[in-house]
Amino acid sequence: MDFKDLPDEELWLQMQDDLYDGLKDEVVEETHEALRRGYGPTEVLAKGLVAGMDIVGVDFRDGVLFVPEVLMAANAMKAGMEILRPLLTQTGAPRIGTMVIGTVKGDIHDIGKNLVSMMMEGAGFEVINLGVNNDADKFVAAVREHNADILGMSALLTTTMPYMKVVIQALKDEGLRDKVFVMVGGAPVSEAFAEEIEADAYGRDAATAVDIAKKYMAWKNEKRAAA
Amino acid sequence: MTTTLPTPPATERRARRERDARRRQRGFSFVDAVRPLLNTLPPTEVLSPEGVDKIHRASMRLLKEIGILIVDYPPAAETFRRHGAIVEDCAEGQRVRIDEDTLFHFVRKAPSSFVQLARNPAKSVPVGGRHTIFAPVYGPPFVLDLDRGRRQATIEDFRNFARLTYMSEHLHHNGGTLCEPNDVDVKERHLDMLLAHITLSDKAFMGSVTHKENARDTVAMAEIVFGAEAIRRQPAVLSLINASSPLRFDDRMFGALQIYAEAGQALIITPFLIAGAMSPVSMAATLAQQNAEALFGICYAQMLNPGTPCIYGSFLANIDLRSGAPCFGTPEGNLALYAGAQMARHYHLPYRSGGNFTASRIPDAQAGYESASTFLATVQAGVNFVLHAAGWLEGGLISGYEKFVLDLEMCGMMAKFAQGIGLDDEDFAWDAYEEVGPGGHFLGSQHTMRHYETAFYQHAVFNMDNYEKWESEGAEDAYKRANAAWKRMLLEYQPPALDEGVKEALLAFVEKRRAEIRAGRLVRE
Repeated sequence: MDFKDLPDEELWLQMQDDLYDGLKDEVVEETHEALRRGYGPTEVLAKGLVAGMDIVGVDFRDGVLFVPEVLMAANAMKAGMEILRPLLTQTGAPRIGTMVIGTVKGDIHDIGKNLVSMMMEGAGFEVINLGVNNDADKFVAAVREHNADILGMSALLTTTMPYMKVVIQALKDEGLRDKVFVMVGGAPVSEAFAEEIEADAYGRDAATAVDIAKKYMAWKNEKRAAA
Repeated sequence: MTTTLPTPPATERRARRERDARRRQRGFSFVDAVRPLLNTLPPTEVLSPEGVDKIHRASMRLLKEIGILIVDYPPAAETFRRHGAIVEDCAEGQRVRIDEDTLFHFVRKAPSSFVQLARNPAKSVPVGGRHTIFAPVYGPPFVLDLDRGRRQATIEDFRNFARLTYMSEHLHHNGGTLCEPNDVDVKERHLDMLLAHITLSDKAFMGSVTHKENARDTVAMAEIVFGAEAIRRQPAVLSLINASSPLRFDDRMFGALQIYAEAGQALIITPFLIAGAMSPVSMAATLAQQNAEALFGICYAQMLNPGTPCIYGSFLANIDLRSGAPCFGTPEGNLALYAGAQMARHYHLPYRSGGNFTASRIPDAQAGYESASTFLATVQAGVNFVLHAAGWLEGGLISGYEKFVLDLEMCGMMAKFAQGIGLDDEDFAWDAYEEVGPGGHFLGSQHTMRHYETAFYQHAVFNMDNYEKWESEGAEDAYKRANAAWKRMLLEYQPPALDEGVKEALLAFVEKRRAEIRAGRLVRE
């Protein structure tokens, strides 16, 4: 299919469809094509990638899409974002956000966390995935190094869950607590536990985590604009 | 003024005593001894001998070509290396590849059956062969009851489930982490859990696996109760060692395994498989992977201490590929449950699997259907050790009080089911036909009088009343009746006797360890 002949409006629709179908190569080419036609990165992101992922999000929530299909779509989104990210930074567009995510010390379970990571990338976030078994120093260093907007921590074990509090304390000690939004999740974690350890939010599943992260970034960008 | 009550006639007094006895006997009652199911039914098989062999060969290929990753525990990798496995260092730890001959040289040393000691010798349990042991739910961080809803579990909840387990004749074992006592510091939690198991019940129990030192504490407490020599002749602790699937074990689990194996204590090696996430979406691959992981863990225990009692474990469900959530009571899971049993029997190892599984959040119709379908499969597969036989909700995130009691009903029914059909002359009841003849009824026949008390399973919570009676008595559903049942059980609970000297020694040990842990000394002095 030759999308180069498509009128602009149809190019956006084609991008959204290809994203929905997880066609990474096509999305990359269409992203280049849209930029070539003179659209700015913010517009390409909004009209092509984000609009496409919004549809994916709705159909995932409604149980229409399977997880592997969402994974393919998120990969396509990520590929498109890699082209746009440097341009977005240059234009000073509102940040979509950077997230550091990892499983806490003593815990080597990461399937749920990887699902969150994938969905966050699908929403355009830059995700630094620290993997499993991370101590507080590693979380703190990554938050600082990547100037993270959000820190996500996960645990599957009730015995490792309390370590999240240790990490939050370490952020306080390093003067980083106010700079980063801390989200926690994992099967044994609950809203009550998140409050108890003074995390900012609890994401009960991957889709909810993305919603919360997006809301937080919208609030943060608004605050930054007002300041 | 004193009133002298008239003495009732002797017959009446005897009748009243009998009434009391019957009321006691037919409610939930304390049990003097436990008898695991002796399953007389031929196990249901879903694999042909060729199928068993195909899964065996696929798992051997996995172990030889892909291998198992050991994270943060070089001593285990070293043990494998010393015994002929190929060990390769990688970023996450050590990758161990092992061939069939080396593996089975060790796996064959595991006994096909053993006895786990209970504090009350009449409650020691035979593991393996045709025996089926029911144990309560293990591991949930939350509890649920009708009055208070879903909440973080506490040590008092843990104690309640220990009491309820002790009370039920249908549970043969006290299990382990009945729920996670979140209100006790994680470093000393194991002490309180073990103390509850030992003092509130007298059935066999499970050890702590959350840290190597916790395993040491468990062995020390078992030594206080049973004697150091006794537990080396026969295991008094059974512990659950999970693989961090796919194809991975970590320091926590292998560290605990090492302590228990070296002390001769029994182990369940369980791959943790939610197909679609921790294993491929096909059951053949999932079963081969389960086989590889379970045998690898059993092999390690045998390398450390030949003859260590090991149970081939299976925890196998599948993911909902539309949401990522785990599913329970699925057709695929049940097929794998039967197939796993065949694999374990193929290697002459006791098998752990099944339970009253459900993904439902409350004990509703979904919970009932899912639990019943997995539990029936559990018994038909010939599972030897059934963890999660009572209390499981929300894919293992909740220990449910009402669900616990409802599951006991299933346990009771399965106990009867496993007895199969008696075929003695007495079972054919010829005298009843002679007595009643055509067209009569059998309610009063001599044969009925001889057997009525045990002929049919007697329900404890399920209700068989007609509509009007049920309605006039409050129209309660099973959930509400179960709520009343667990409360009554806790009200009637009385702790089993425990030697004062043993109790003091236990308490002293726990207090000493607690002080050490609080002072930052995790390793026992």
